[in-house]
Amino acid sequence: MSSWLDYTINGLIVGNVYALVAVGLALIFGVSRLINFAQGSIYLVGAYIGWVAVVQLHTPLPLTIIVVAAAAAVVGLIIERFGLRPLQNSVRIAPLLATIGISFVLDQLVMLTFSPNPRALPSQLPDVRFQVGGGTIGPLDLLIAGVGLTSALLLFVFLRYSKLGWAVRAASQDRDAAMQMGVDVNRVNQAVFGIAAALGGVSGMLVGMYYNQIDTAMSLQATLKGVVAEVVGGAGNVPGAVIGSLLLGLVESYGVAVFGTSYRNLFAFLLLVVVLVLRPNGLFASARQAPPEPLTGTFIAPSRPVRIPRWALLAAAAIFAVLPFFPVSFYVLQTLINAWLLGMLALSLTLVAGTMGQVSLGHAALLAIGAYTSALLSLTLSVPVGLAVIGGGLMSAALGTLLISPSFRLRGHYVSIATLAIGEIVSLVILNWESVTRGPIGISGIPPLSLFGYDLISPSSIYWFSFAVMVVLALLQGRLLGSHLGRSFRAIRDDDIAARAYGLSLNRYKSLAFIFGGFAAGVSGGIAAHLYSYINHETFNTQQSILALTVVILGGLGNVVGAIVGAVALVGLPEVFRIAAEYRILIYGIVLLLLVRFRPQGLLGTI
Amino acid sequence: MSNIDRRTLVKGSLAAMMAGTTFSRAALAQSSEPILLGVSGPLTGPNAQYGTQWKQGFDLALDEITAAGGINGRKLAYQFEDSQSDPRQSVAIAQKFVSNPAIVLELGDFSSPASMAASPIYQRAGLVQFGFTNSHPDFTKGGDFMWSTSVSQADEQPLLASYAVRRLGLKKLAVLHLNTDWGRTSRDYFVNAAKEYGAEIAVTEGYIAEERDFRSTLVRVRDANPDGLILISYYSDGALIARQARQVGLKQVICAASSVYSPKFLELGGEAVEDVHVGTRYFPEDPRPEVQKFISGFKKKYNGLEPDAFNAYAYDAMNMAAAVVRIGGTDRKAIRDAFTKVKDVPSVIFGTATFDVATRRVKGAMNAELVVRKGQFALWDGKPT
Repeated sequence: MSSWLDYTINGLIVGNVYALVAVGLALIFGVSRLINFAQGSIYLVGAYIGWVAVVQLHTPLPLTIIVVAAAAAVVGLIIERFGLRPLQNSVRIAPLLATIGISFVLDQLVMLTFSPNPRALPSQLPDVRFQVGGGTIGPLDLLIAGVGLTSALLLFVFLRYSKLGWAVRAASQDRDAAMQMGVDVNRVNQAVFGIAAALGGVSGMLVGMYYNQIDTAMSLQATLKGVVAEVVGGAGNVPGAVIGSLLLGLVESYGVAVFGTSYRNLFAFLLLVVVLVLRPNGLFASARQAPPEPLTGTFIAPSRPVRIPRWALLAAAAIFAVLPFFPVSFYVLQTLINAWLLGMLALSLTLVAGTMGQVSLGHAALLAIGAYTSALLSLTLSVPVGLAVIGGGLMSAALGTLLISPSFRLRGHYVSIATLAIGEIVSLVILNWESVTRGPIGISGIPPLSLFGYDLISPSSIYWFSFAVMVVLALLQGRLLGSHLGRSFRAIRDDDIAARAYGLSLNRYKSLAFIFGGFAAGVSGGIAAHLYSYINHETFNTQQSILALTVVILGGLGNVVGAIVGAVALVGLPEVFRIAAEYRILIYGIVLLLLVRFRPQGLLGTI
Repeated sequence: MSNIDRRTLVKGSLAAMMAGTTFSRAALAQSSEPILLGVSGPLTGPNAQYGTQWKQGFDLALDEITAAGGINGRKLAYQFEDSQSDPRQSVAIAQKFVSNPAIVLELGDFSSPASMAASPIYQRAGLVQFGFTNSHPDFTKGGDFMWSTSVSQADEQPLLASYAVRRLGLKKLAVLHLNTDWGRTSRDYFVNAAKEYGAEIAVTEGYIAEERDFRSTLVRVRDANPDGLILISYYSDGALIARQARQVGLKQVICAASSVYSPKFLELGGEAVEDVHVGTRYFPEDPRPEVQKFISGFKKKYNGLEPDAFNAYAYDAMNMAAAVVRIGGTDRKAIRDAFTKVKDVPSVIFGTATFDVATRRVKGAMNAELVVRKGQFALWDGKPT
């Protein structure tokens, strides 16, 4: 019995840590309806500024906190002013992409300044431990709890009773109306970003002290857990975020207690999916609250797509088709093979996210399902590779649609978060379901691609094969979009109530989109498995999902040619910047930001 | 013959002709140009720290090789391509390396997915992929161009088990391991060896690399009531576990695998890692000349910095590469054959390294039983802690 008390206390302690990030995320979401993917990076920056203050300047703790808060707030203001404000009249999805780009840039700057080696960040509090249950807690636990609760309380009071707080809430309810009533929305945004960033920075520092360890990989994890906690509590709801964090900590801790450590995150993400399905506005959303997303499709604004004449497309396809006859290096061919594989994934995502409006952040899971199915079919059942790849596509279509179906009733950002969680769940199931997937050892010795008994081994033959598959999928998708199906998809995206009024069954059309998209992604994963010969649970990770979304937005949502152009650009750019060595991801992030800034509707425009 | 095959043949012969002209040009420049090795590894992304440690080890070894006159008068150099430990990038890098005739040998990658995805390309092109941190049991099964000096876990884990069970007298163990291919393989070898030596395994817990909070895991460990904790961890997670174990009041003996052997483990763990036992392959006061040369050289080059396990792996790997190139010259196939001929290369990890031609790995890692005393790694004096 005493163990359960310990699990409860441990859950609350960790929840406490998550709360610091979640509160900042909730604040920003509350005002700008934006999941700030850069919040984890501000947390990282805060941790390193804290390190400089403590280790180099030997500042006392109160001063350290003030220094970190101020510096992080400045970073937040810069992000708001130069990263997000220029985008406020563009597509709703553009700021989301901008925060991803900003997080790349910030993480890389920290890594380049401080080296990627982890550092110790010593706590400045006395090392006394209080016995609680079977374990102990220290003063830092109390300080973190204090900071979390106080900031939530202060924010609550600020939002409810101060004039600027009213302005913040007004702006979050209806930005245009607030502007008409004379609220300076920019100032509100500034205030919110400053506060959220200060909080994020301080929390990064405190968590760094808590573990006596800071490193550049902490940013993405912080964002992931913070987003989960925030949504569980009700996006945009500050006290809800604190309670959601504690709940998340408890669920993880009990999950470890019952099933073991390797199941921990599985429970975190299952909690999220269950909450989203049962109470899409979070556990603590009040009934009076305005719907979290606008009813009509302003999330993805239509724009005028760039029309590419048919002859130009044919010419481009012909050039790429004959490319291996020219003396291009295998390296270029391999890079393009990667682009075609990513292109298939992007075709899938641009259909689901662009045409259908279901912005998925867990698309790598479809790759993984396709890859594992194809690899296992060919290895254990000796299915010919060509058929196994198709089997991978079919499995991905079926399983992917089944997994996503509970979240069909969700809208806007909530779809993204649900798919993010489902993606993580798939990866964790692959890690833990050892009898089938071989767990962390992974699957090795996957046979190479072959077609009708001929092995496709040379780079040129793999190039032609993947290019042909991608072109066929693209043509099919183009055909699909030109039919009544494409019109129905877009109708649902643009106004689901009107679409329903016209008799369209939302679930059926969403299923169709995911079936087609799942197939394309599964085929891409299957080909990758045979190309690499070895896969494990890390081969298709969250970064892949984020990359795919970046490709799709860059190319233009729903735009088939755009998806392929985007894939070539985003596989190609990091390779082109190879000469810049450690700086290449930084440059990539900056280029991404500039593209979002000057072409938010994507290179070829949304269709 | 299929269409595809004929095209490939035409293209292949074209490529061969072009390669031929490049080779003859390379031959002209032979005396002045350095001999080039390709390195595929993480310089950015989540594993970036290990890539920077590789570089430190490589650079030290290259300084020594150059000072000793290079390879038959030619310098040895490497071209480091950042893969972020991502299989998509490591395969592109593999094509880049195999189609660059100047590159005679490839080192890396870091993670198994990245390394083993590139193996088929190196194997088909006939360029040796020398993976010096690739402990995945299937890595060298990728083909006869895959060679590894990574300490086989079949070798290392019984040594650790012997330290914990026979020397420290632990009877009931809790094993915490990274849930990766490395951690999982290591755990299995460890558990088998520990049982053979007569210990009981009370509980094993696998955790993912991003994990930071181990308090609930440690409650499980406490409830299993072990008399020792075994950490199959890297230094950053190892330090986290040790700290949290002490914070929740676990006082059991902690015994860790050699991968925590790093000054960072001491820095990040602080007082909590005091008395932690570590089975390693070398230690600072080791009288072996290759160890003394490595440690003093490293401290001199990097302003007093203590080298860690990954520095040592990289340093050894570069020395091995130099030894192989000395025998095999600059022909890729001759270099592959040289791996079967190279004998007794001085090595920090192995003492002297000779490949087992059947497994393409090196056996017989050295063993040192260390313990953290007063914030420093020291040879264990046999006293119980």
